[in-house]
Amino acid sequence: MSVTVGEELTELVKHPTTRQLVQYAGAQGDFYEIHYDQAYAQSVGLPGVILHGLLKAAFLGQLVTDWLGDRGTLKTFEVSYRGIDVAGRPYRCRGRVTKVDGDQVELEVWGEDSDGNRTTLGTATLEMKG
Amino acid sequence: MATTPSVVDRLRARIGVAVPLSEATVEAGHLKRFAEAIGDPNPRWTSEAPPTFLVALAPVSLHLAEAEEYGKGWLNGGNRFEYFEPANVGDRITATGRVADVYEKIGSSGSLLFIIFETDYVNQDGRTVARLRGTAIRR
Repeated sequence: MSVTVGEELTELVKHPTTRQLVQYAGAQGDFYEIHYDQAYAQSVGLPGVILHGLLKAAFLGQLVTDWLGDRGTLKTFEVSYRGIDVAGRPYRCRGRVTKVDGDQVELEVWGEDSDGNRTTLGTATLEMKG
Repeated sequence: MATTPSVVDRLRARIGVAVPLSEATVEAGHLKRFAEAIGDPNPRWTSEAPPTFLVALAPVSLHLAEAEEYGKGWLNGGNRFEYFEPANVGDRITATGRVADVYEKIGSSGSLLFIIFETDYVNQDGRTVARLRGTAIRR
C-alpha cells in the first residue's frame, strides 16, 4: 500500500481520567503532583490535574504506530508541548503525511483539546519497507 | 533578580558531563502496565517497547538542585526520540544522561530557564537503542 502526501492518519480519540494519570505516573515513575493531586495543581495556578507531556506523546505514538503497522519503522519522533490538557476532557490525536521521498516518509502529528486547540505538535520520520 | 545569572552559570558548567542514570531490564510486566496506562492495546507491545517506553526505565531529567532556585515550577517543553534498534523484553538497557544546553529567555510574562537534557539508551550488546532529547523549563 503506497503512501501519499496529504494522506490523513486515522484519528485516535483518548479520554484520559485522573485514574489514568495515576496509572501513568506509576508506569513511568513520574510522581510530580500536578498530575494527580487536585489541590496541589490548583496551588500552582493550574485549572486541575494535567496530563503528563509524555502521556500525550505516548498517545501520538499510538496514532503513528497504529497507522504504520508493520509497513515500516519509526526513526524519529518529536513532540512539542504548547498547552496544558486537563483530565476528564477528550484528547484528539491527528496527523497527516507531509513528505514522501523513496522509502522515507515524514508525518506531522498533533493533539487537540476539546476546543480544537492544538496543544501538542509533533513530527515523525519513518522508513518504509521496500 | 541578582541570583539569576549565577544559577544559569552554575548549570552551564554541567553541560556535557555524562551521568549514569540507570541500568534496567525491559520486563514483560512493566511493558504490560505501561501499555495499559497509555491505553494502547496493540499486541505488539507484549514483547516490544512502544515508542515512548524508554522514559519509564530511567529518570528523563537529572536532578539539578540549583535549577529549583529558579522560578516556581517545571514545565515539559518537548521531547525528541531518535531510534536505532528495537527494545525488546529481556533487553538490559543502560541509560546515561547529560545536560546538553542551558539558556534563559526573558519574555513579556517573565523569565524562563530552558534546560536541554539528552539521554542515551544502550543495550546489553553495546548498541545504542535510542537517544532522547528533552526540554525542561523552569518558570
